[in-house]
Amino acid sequence: MWVKGTVLFSLAAALSYGADAPTLKPVSFIACPVYRDTNQGRKSGCWLADDHENGVRYDIGGGRAKPQIGHEVLVEGVVANSPDVCGGAVLVPVHTAVLETRCPAVMLPPENYPGRTFQVSAKSVLPPMDVERPLPAPPYESQQWVIQFNFQSDFLLYQYSEVILDAAARYIQVSGAKRIFVTGYAATKAMPVSGRTLSESSTLAKTRAESVAEALRRLGVDARLMHVSWRKDPEPIASDGGLEEPSKRRVTIRAEL
Amino acid sequence: MYLMPTKRTLGAATFAGAAAFLLSGVFSQGWGAAESPTPLDAETWWSPSGGREFPASLSYADERGIITTLNLKGPTDTHGHPFFTPLGTNGRACITCHQPADGMSVSVRDVQARWKATAGKDPIFAAIDGSNCPSLPQDERASHSLLLDRGTFRVARPWPPLDADGKRIAPQFDIEVVRDPTGCNTSAIYGLHGKSPAISVFRRPRPATNLKYLTAVGFVFEPKNGFPLPIDPESGQRMSGNLLADSRAGTLKLQLLDAMRTHLETEGNLDPGQIQRILDFEAQLYTAQSVDFVGGKLDDGGAHGGPETLALSKPGVLKSSRDIQWVEYSPWAAPTTTSPASAATNPASTTATSAPATANTAGSGEAQRLFRESVARGAAIFRERTFLISDSSGLNSMNFGNPTRDSCNFCHNMTRTGMDVAPGQVDLGTTNEPFADAAPDLPLFKLTCHAGETPHPFLGPIIYTHDPGFALTTGRCVDIGKITMQSMRGLAARAPYFSNGSARTLRDVIEFYNRRYNIALTEQEKQDLTNLMSVL
Repeated sequence: MWVKGTVLFSLAAALSYGADAPTLKPVSFIACPVYRDTNQGRKSGCWLADDHENGVRYDIGGGRAKPQIGHEVLVEGVVANSPDVCGGAVLVPVHTAVLETRCPAVMLPPENYPGRTFQVSAKSVLPPMDVERPLPAPPYESQQWVIQFNFQSDFLLYQYSEVILDAAARYIQVSGAKRIFVTGYAATKAMPVSGRTLSESSTLAKTRAESVAEALRRLGVDARLMHVSWRKDPEPIASDGGLEEPSKRRVTIRAEL
Repeated sequence: MYLMPTKRTLGAATFAGAAAFLLSGVFSQGWGAAESPTPLDAETWWSPSGGREFPASLSYADERGIITTLNLKGPTDTHGHPFFTPLGTNGRACITCHQPADGMSVSVRDVQARWKATAGKDPIFAAIDGSNCPSLPQDERASHSLLLDRGTFRVARPWPPLDADGKRIAPQFDIEVVRDPTGCNTSAIYGLHGKSPAISVFRRPRPATNLKYLTAVGFVFEPKNGFPLPIDPESGQRMSGNLLADSRAGTLKLQLLDAMRTHLETEGNLDPGQIQRILDFEAQLYTAQSVDFVGGKLDDGGAHGGPETLALSKPGVLKSSRDIQWVEYSPWAAPTTTSPASAATNPASTTATSAPATANTAGSGEAQRLFRESVARGAAIFRERTFLISDSSGLNSMNFGNPTRDSCNFCHNMTRTGMDVAPGQVDLGTTNEPFADAAPDLPLFKLTCHAGETPHPFLGPIIYTHDPGFALTTGRCVDIGKITMQSMRGLAARAPYFSNGSARTLRDVIEFYNRRYNIALTEQEKQDLTNLMSVL
């Protein structure tokens, strides 16, 4: 039951990015990202990164969060059968995380690549507060939601996290859930990538859990019902594209009736 | 029961106010009907306890035309009214720094005039924050230079910062005073190492008008920090986050109490009835430019400029294809058969508002048409001219990436006022080096982020700044230099601009953005954007 939210939003992201079904060819690498300014209107630029181990340039712009030039980026994705409109093999799904290590800031001109125009799915964003929305309908049952985080981050990502938190809070309140378990995880076990080993700090498990609990509290969930805990080195869980490592950086919200 | 006025009645009030003003003769050239011109200056400045009635509509000349404030429940008897009455020890009232002629803020022009008229004795120059530092000799102009030249008041923030409950926040960074031209940050009394450690920064007062837009909450989440907006325990309503440059007060009441304690030097507690009267009065004010010297009435020719549109419109609306930003001026767009190139090469279109109106051009004819088309083009540029936004904490540090391509409308996204629905704490670089303009008259601080803390996303762990902004409220490195965006209304009446008064003119605002983001605006685009901002 838990993947209800996650599956929905990943699918919406994939569709909005114009991708075919993933072919389940995971890649993971660290690179210096390159921005291609295709200038097709707002939020239209392309993000590219080269995997040094195979020499392939990938289109990494389809993730929930975009890279930053001048900072290395951790890329984890799946090669998709999508047309090359930016100058690289398209990764869908793709997770990119900005690393603290600096690298040259590089921007490219369009070079005849059309890029993409910005599109957003109505299901992937919250409506304004004054828009009436139907409450989740009964029958109610125990439910679980998962919120993923960027590598080494406890930041609740704009739109992606908001939609899940909103859905969870509304369901918890209307269902009359008796106990809410908020559990944070951090992938503290070393992960080899591009000749380096990356791992998350153990404190992230706690701060992720506390961030989600605070967000739920501000959305009206009774703090007295919440049981907040955190763990390190979690097992991977089912996720979009079968990407194991990103699935470990998560918080689960479990509502018991 | 109070009924929301209809557009018709408001329009009549606005027009009556403007017409009465025009008939005073100040605008005799081009506007006619001037038999015996009378100076307006005597009526311009509102002193505390002046006893004047605050009418239902109040209009004054400004640098580009007329600024009008609607007082929806007016007229208001100001005798004993707490907004107009000194409630502290320094002789100031709210009205001192929220002048109708200055769009309910204060302009450098009028501050300088007040210095001259009162030999520096007006309460606005009170030592506590109307001077560069209370320890300076108060009868010297140099001691008030930041107010007289930048329009900024001293804002002393406690260090380390305090949370809403008055508890100390453990800051993520240390502060050193690098340069202290005012002497206040190194003062044994007022400084960082004084008895009550504080950081003194210098900021423009924000307009006390159009407040429903400042308090409006469009969306539940504050995406720049990832959390739902906090809830005011007193009202149960979410707090918008759009009040004050550093967002240190979440509600108008908290802002009021902060202002009373600091700017008015009020001792003891205010009577709840007084607080409510001030809040009620502020809530009924709507201010906007209503007439342009060249463009004429701003609700003419199908346009819906002026304050009545603000009074009637819903606040907190995010721009979209359905709710278009500055749609008020869309009817002024040139017919599609008019070539933008021809407008760009017409000398009148580039100079129409850079000089005072003349009898031959003001308010009618070709110059008016060209000006109006320029405003409409400016609105389109504001919405549609994209550029690469980079290295701006609060924007590029979100999911959008660095850089991200977007337009002015990306951040200035609340219809009618151009504020940020999100809300808008952003580091544009107006106070942080190296993007800030040179400011030898302002203090300079060196902020060093502690090891292990997340540094400023684009400036690293060591930041030099004139004003840490939002970080003085949160204590976080990522918030250093973030300043809350403010309403774009009534701009022509309240120069200079940006929180530290670094842009002396609207054109300077455009030039800053053009430099900061390498937008490569043409001369015509700069003029169009300037004209747009002058009629808001």
